[in-house]
Amino acid sequence: MAEENYKEYLAARVLTDNRPVTYRLLSRALKVNVNTAKQMLYEFHTKQNAKKPNTIHATYLLIGKMRTSEHINGVNGRDGDDTVMRSSPFISSMPEPEGELAEEPVPTTSIVLVREEELEKTKSEFEDIGSIHIYSLEPGPIENLNVLSVCNQEIAMDFASEDPLEQWRVYGSIHNPYIKRRTTKYNPVPPKVPAKPTVKPTHAAAAVKKEDASGLKRKGSVSEDNTSGQSTPQSGPVSLKKSDSKSNLKKDKSVGDLFKSFAKAKPKAKEAEKSKESTPAPVEDEQMQGMSEDEGDENDAPEVKFDEEKAAAAKKAREEREEKLRQMMEDDVDMPDAEPEEEKDSQDAPLDTAVSSKPAESGSQGSVTIQGGRRRGRRRVMKKKKVKDEDGYLVTKEEAVWESFSEEDPEPKKAKPVAKPASTAKGKKAGGKGQGSIASFFKKA
Amino acid sequence: MIPKDGSMLIGEPFKDPTSVPSRNASSYKPLHTFALPKGAEKHYQQQYADMYFLRLALLKKAVIQKAHEAWDDFELGGEKATYVERVLDVRQGELCWVVGTVYMEMNLKPNVLDDISKEHWIVAPPPRETYVNSSGADDMMLEDESGRLRVIGETLNSTYVTGCILAALGTEQADGSFQVIATQFADLPRQPQRWEREDSDRTTVTKTKREKSGKVAIVSGLGITGTEDDDLTLDLLLEYLTGEATGPTDQSNAAQITRLIVAGDSLSHASPILSREDFATKKNQKKHVYGYDASAYNATPAEKLDSFLTQVLPTMPITILPGASDPANVALPQQPLHPALFPHSRSFANPPALSNETLHGLDSVTNPWEGDIEGWRVLGTGGQTVEDLLKYVEDVHPIEVMEMMLRWRCIAPTAPDTLWCYPFQDDDPLLLRECPHIYLAGNMKKFGRRVIEGPAGQKVLLVAVPKFRETGQIVLVDLESMEVELVECGVVQPGV
Repeated sequence: MAEENYKEYLAARVLTDNRPVTYRLLSRALKVNVNTAKQMLYEFHTKQNAKKPNTIHATYLLIGKMRTSEHINGVNGRDGDDTVMRSSPFISSMPEPEGELAEEPVPTTSIVLVREEELEKTKSEFEDIGSIHIYSLEPGPIENLNVLSVCNQEIAMDFASEDPLEQWRVYGSIHNPYIKRRTTKYNPVPPKVPAKPTVKPTHAAAAVKKEDASGLKRKGSVSEDNTSGQSTPQSGPVSLKKSDSKSNLKKDKSVGDLFKSFAKAKPKAKEAEKSKESTPAPVEDEQMQGMSEDEGDENDAPEVKFDEEKAAAAKKAREEREEKLRQMMEDDVDMPDAEPEEEKDSQDAPLDTAVSSKPAESGSQGSVTIQGGRRRGRRRVMKKKKVKDEDGYLVTKEEAVWESFSEEDPEPKKAKPVAKPASTAKGKKAGGKGQGSIASFFKKA
Repeated sequence: MIPKDGSMLIGEPFKDPTSVPSRNASSYKPLHTFALPKGAEKHYQQQYADMYFLRLALLKKAVIQKAHEAWDDFELGGEKATYVERVLDVRQGELCWVVGTVYMEMNLKPNVLDDISKEHWIVAPPPRETYVNSSGADDMMLEDESGRLRVIGETLNSTYVTGCILAALGTEQADGSFQVIATQFADLPRQPQRWEREDSDRTTVTKTKREKSGKVAIVSGLGITGTEDDDLTLDLLLEYLTGEATGPTDQSNAAQITRLIVAGDSLSHASPILSREDFATKKNQKKHVYGYDASAYNATPAEKLDSFLTQVLPTMPITILPGASDPANVALPQQPLHPALFPHSRSFANPPALSNETLHGLDSVTNPWEGDIEGWRVLGTGGQTVEDLLKYVEDVHPIEVMEMMLRWRCIAPTAPDTLWCYPFQDDDPLLLRECPHIYLAGNMKKFGRRVIEGPAGQKVLLVAVPKFRETGQIVLVDLESMEVELVECGVVQPGV
């Protein structure tokens, strides 16, 4: 069955998703022997390139003996043993200088991974090739071969649940009947591969998934908007913004939580003004509770489900909040029970963020815990780092670092980007009433 | 040029994959020579002086015996050489020989007193590449319980280091220094027979038939940093060891490997004591965080190592030694890496109470480590001892240093002078009691190997294992023929 599947799998992965695939990943995905997987890659590579030249690019793995000249140049001058010449107890223990050591090269087997561009050249450097096979296929020439390592990371993550002691049967790795494995009391979570910039290409699929998820969410929020009637035009951009960065999403959520609690604190009039809608934030607030400390991509999926369940509660909260907002706007004058800081912030914020939206710099928030009214947690921030390089120049680098923060710390990102979704709608109205920030004033002008 | 079954560049119809032979069992019997007492039994109040005393007391006999053999008939100008028991009893102008511990007085050597006064310095000097003073102002002393004697002589240059036990033949000069003509040292101790421990365990006299031994693979300096640039060669190594990469012939060759030894420095920046550079970077990014700062710890390298081990372990048992940059104690002997570092791979080890008897799985051991593999006594280190000794001498190859350490019967002669070391009190396991058959030192700059012979016909294979991260090389030792070969993993980067 795998024989038929492999074309589909490879076409989907390489041609559609534009992600590299190694023989090892292919064998895991289709449950075939690694050596068969190598042949599948070759078959697919030749067939596909016969149809359309240069649609698929390959890397090859060579094993064998390199030419000796290569040895001397590159790898190692090595010492041989000259035991025979040594008589056992020698009076002078003076170590002999290196030059006197007899050079006897040690048999060296080289395993070399090479792109198809350099294949012929590399082949010529071998004196004797033990075997050659395709290591991986990718949609185009890759500049940095290191991206291929993501395939193995994927294996480590996706196939961790398989019994390692049975793998040799399926994949044909060397069997060792003596190895025993203890079943631990708990099964540790599969290793999480931290999302790194380099990982991007491989995570394309994940990204797609993410997008799907956010797409769903968007749909959800749109429909909410519809039900609530108005402000659909605004909801468009809002949801877009959400989908473009995950970290934003999260921030939105966490902020939303705050809003919500505030809203609840002041249950005022019940009648809801629909014009104020367009705040999907509360909806997502609810999802926020599902967030675990370490953000995994996987976490996104369940959120969609959450949506529906909590929609009702969220809606209620939203209505309350809208109501409150409307009241606030209607009487220009400050209300006796002044709005909580955050609320004001959020009103100002929309435009601020629009002007200076810096979600990238702010990074993502790992987790926020609210304890006794204190916020604590971890967030990822871009920090400028000055390093002196070998030449003595100062180099400034931006690096993502985790830092923990608490209430006392200034909270640069949280207030602003959070407020965004809510405020875009709100902000305009508020601006109309003259409550907006300076930015809003300018905008009007 | 490519053998018939070597080319996997064939398409449909897919031929059935040839089955690769299973690995043989690795006959493995670790010794726990270097395990320190646990918990409250471990004390650090002892004086290091006891170590030197112990070393001299234990080795003196062997050195004296060697010196008697060599110098009893020795005559110079009609004068017979006599043995003087205490270095301070040497008479001027008298041909004699003494036994003592070498102490090197070197200006560039780190000094405890300097360390203390360092607090008053504006800038501390960089760590030394070598302790040798180019102007040649270094002094060598011979020391025993009675006192010290300054020794000079051509034969001494660049040959001895602090801590080795030596017999020196010569005369005292007018200025009080001892002019050395010749030296003797303990040389290789007794070497056990192959399978000695296994055979002694058996009650029956009948010899069991043993299978032909396979190979042992040795890798050191994986240097996992957590960034991507080291991943691919590591993947190639992994796939080679598990027998997934390459064609059937080479896969069968890989199946002959019955054990992997990881000789230190698996992680690159994990030492509990930060290097100067690490410390500087850390200091600069100081933040106002109270208590434990979780964000400062990067778990990625440890996770990667764990994942590597987990994928190799189903096909091959592993012995892992800590190294200078690993998260273990820094003083020799380094104790085994903690199983908490291996959340996944530790399921291949015995449960904690018995984990040091894991014969077919992950064995996290001490550095240095001693044990029997396929009946051969193997002594392995993470390379710190060699690295430190090289700072005392110039133009000496690591493999020669390794040879001298065995001949001096000191695995770490420079400890505790310039190498951190546990203050042993009653017994010093860092003295060589039994001569190994294979002596490994990890994390060397270059590969090297040599076979040395001892006075009683002992044969020792010395292997300097290069850093994998820098060379991509691992060493295979055939345990039947003692032949050494290298496997090199590499990537041809585009445009090269």
